Amino acid sequence: MNALFYIAAAVAVLATLMVVTRAHAVHALLYLIVSLLAVALIFYLLGAPFAAALEVIVYAGAIMVLFVFVVMMLNLGAHSVQAQRQWLRPAMWIGPSILAAVLLAELIYVLAGSPAPAAVPVTVGPRAVGLALFGPYVLAVELASIMLLAGLVGAYHLARPETCGPTEGAA
Amino acid sequence: MHNADFMALLPLMVLSAACAAVMLLIAARRHHGLTLVLTLAGLAATLAVMPEAGRWMPIRITALLTLDTFALFFIALIVLATMATALLGYAYFDAWGGHREEFYLLLLIAALGACVLSMSRHFAAFFIGLEILSIALYALIAYPRRRAASVEAGIKYLVLAAGSAGFLLFGMALLYADRGTLDFSALAAGLSTPGQDRPLLLLAGLALLMVGVGFKLALVPFHMWTADVYQGAPAPVTAFVATASKSAMVALLVRLLAPLDFNTAPELFDILAALAAASMVGGNLLALRQQSVKRILAYSSIAHLGYVLVAILAAGPAFVPAVMFYMAAYTLAQLGSFGVIAMHSTAETEADSLERFRGLFHQRPWMAAVLTAMLLSLAGIPLTAGFIGKFYVILAGTQGRLWWLIITLVLTSGIGLFYYLRIIVTLFSPAQAPRTTPTAAGPAAFSGAAVLTVTTILLVWLGALPESLVRLLQHVTP
Repeated sequence: MNALFYIAAAVAVLATLMVVTRAHAVHALLYLIVSLLAVALIFYLLGAPFAAALEVIVYAGAIMVLFVFVVMMLNLGAHSVQAQRQWLRPAMWIGPSILAAVLLAELIYVLAGSPAPAAVPVTVGPRAVGLALFGPYVLAVELASIMLLAGLVGAYHLARPETCGPTEGAA
Repeated sequence: MHNADFMALLPLMVLSAACAAVMLLIAARRHHGLTLVLTLAGLAATLAVMPEAGRWMPIRITALLTLDTFALFFIALIVLATMATALLGYAYFDAWGGHREEFYLLLLIAALGACVLSMSRHFAAFFIGLEILSIALYALIAYPRRRAASVEAGIKYLVLAAGSAGFLLFGMALLYADRGTLDFSALAAGLSTPGQDRPLLLLAGLALLMVGVGFKLALVPFHMWTADVYQGAPAPVTAFVATASKSAMVALLVRLLAPLDFNTAPELFDILAALAAASMVGGNLLALRQQSVKRILAYSSIAHLGYVLVAILAAGPAFVPAVMFYMAAYTLAQLGSFGVIAMHSTAETEADSLERFRGLFHQRPWMAAVLTAMLLSLAGIPLTAGFIGKFYVILAGTQGRLWWLIITLVLTSGIGLFYYLRIIVTLFSPAQAPRTTPTAAGPAAFSGAAVLTVTTILLVWLGALPESLVRLLQHVTP
């Protein structure tokens, strides 16, 4: 059990190190996905399958797809096909693939009915998460919405294109 | 949640409603003056419902928040500082070409985050409040987004605040791993047993937590961002960072540490005493040779937070009122000083260098007089609120028998006098050449002047007749 945790943690740390050190955004993103998957596996091993599923769906799924889209849209141009072929050389995807394969092997091992995780006293399911979020932590949920509003308004203001010229905003 | 919970939450709910109202107004019609009026109305309504909420305290609202006199005082301080910032922002952004309305929306959100911080008694609320405040501040600091200095300051703040949030989260995780709860009381319970068998997780978590708090309060050695961010941010936002944001964090620190007995936690005492001494010495020494008024005030704010930390460490009977009085006096003086800077700046050109203020007295005597009063208060000269505040802090320190820290405080205050007087001398020395001052006209000039008048009157009133506030604060416990 502990060995599984340490392997997943090592994968997460390694992948994150690679994210920070890659010069190319797409390669960094590939490693970031692996890192998030490793964290999801750690959640699962700790007895939080719902959090693990959310981590995969929300982070590795939705947010990463957005990242990749943005990176791809920023690189539009005549050379983009050529450039993409270059990004996908085996040397580039072999690293993330190996790390992901380690995670996959671990996942299969856990799901294939290996002895139940002994270090975990309880398994926190979706029902328990929902009850906690909208019971004692309901104010945190409400405040988190304000936090997102702050991010949204700030991003809108800072990233708005300057097409209107200096007279913009004159009421 | 019960009826009483909702009543006690009224200030936060009104403030959130004000955010929503301002957002809808911006969506419906962009109008600078109207947005300001609605923002001020929302803040005034928040103040107005506070007595009603106060009838239900002390009360614990769910596991996350608490409302007591202590929280109410800091909410009032934050809301008033936000009002002043909004009024200063109106004059500052009046002639600016870009979208000016989101400034008020972000300001309200930042104020809400600061209020949550001052009410929180649970690490989850602490972190969410801090993030609301920080995210709003990233955008506010970089608000004039065509000015390179502001964007640079915003990015610096973003990177360093995100890094410090990482420390904070890791610290919270370690504390949770050790204590099994995220409530603030767990910390006191964990540290109340004397002896050497202190769990390592708890101490490591505490150290990481202090890094995060130290960053937000800009204590030496986590002060690197302060001068650059203060200098690059628009002057009204600098005023907000220096006052509301710091007040909220001080409130949180007091709430976190007040139940502790430092006798059973000497490790924590040593960490904080070292931070306090380093901040007092570092802040005052670094301010000496600066050529920018905003940088001088930035370093002086580092020193002031060091003084506050002395009062917190004293933990004597006078410590809570001392911290509250000091923060009120500090907030007034910082608002006034940055207010004068804001009145001489626009979103395009920031009045920043010391030379820019040379001979101000001969051109705008009232402005120079206000700035002088504010600086004298920061220096702790009698008849200003700053003197009473410093007196109170030293009183609390002697009750706690912190002789070394008090000696440091007195000596470094002496150093501090030099750079405050240096600004004042510059104000009164003859001007080299007549220059054009960007003076706002109409309601914009009035809004800034109103802020300066009110802060100056309060500053002198609190300095000359502090009894009224002191009596109010005497029996407050967090």
